[in-house]
Amino acid sequence: MDFTELTAEPIDITSVARRVVPPECGATVTLDGYARKFTKDKTTGEIRDTLYLVYEAYEPMAIKEMEKLIEQAKKEFEISNVGIVHRLGKLEIGETSVVISVAAPHRRAAFAACEWLIKQLKRTVPIWKKEVYADGEVWVEGEAPN
Amino acid sequence: MSLSLLFFGVTADIAGSRKSDVDVPDGESVEALLVRLISRYPKLASHKLLFAVNEEYVDIDTILKDGDEVAIFTAVSGG
Repeated sequence: MDFTELTAEPIDITSVARRVVPPECGATVTLDGYARKFTKDKTTGEIRDTLYLVYEAYEPMAIKEMEKLIEQAKKEFEISNVGIVHRLGKLEIGETSVVISVAAPHRRAAFAACEWLIKQLKRTVPIWKKEVYADGEVWVEGEAPN
Repeated sequence: MSLSLLFFGVTADIAGSRKSDVDVPDGESVEALLVRLISRYPKLASHKLLFAVNEEYVDIDTILKDGDEVAIFTAVSGG
């Protein structure tokens, strides 16, 4: 079964990964994306030391966009099921922000689809991240979809 | 006609709210709405903005309809 969720609670990675397993599959690839403490600024090269993150979403549209990505991924790759869960609200460093699990008959397609899904999610799903530092905070602006 | 505006992240900070209603002339485009919003919230002009109408991405030349929900936000940064 495919599923998409937004949650303010900590994400149980294993339960996401096991929910996508159907009998025809032999491998699930799961991405565990989590809150990073040190981020190198792309323009200045400066290392930012993050205290914690805050995520917010345009929730109904985010769910729709994640469902669209799953639909596209299933056309593009030989995969069976996808589960995507994204955390919202305040996240401590090291806490999981996103889990993408892709189940496929064979692992190669699952790896490729998982990589494609996270790349697309970062471009199109309306979720925003705020990085909070000791001396300030900034809403991160991504790369606009074309 | 009446529009429901939604702001998120940076745009919510600039607008000082997450949701507001606005009356605009019939047949207003997203671009005309943007000009209106920038005159009200000049700081919006320093960001690259994206628009969604009724939960779907739209181009700036889209014509709005009465009752539309228009979301104004910066490029997404989830993951």
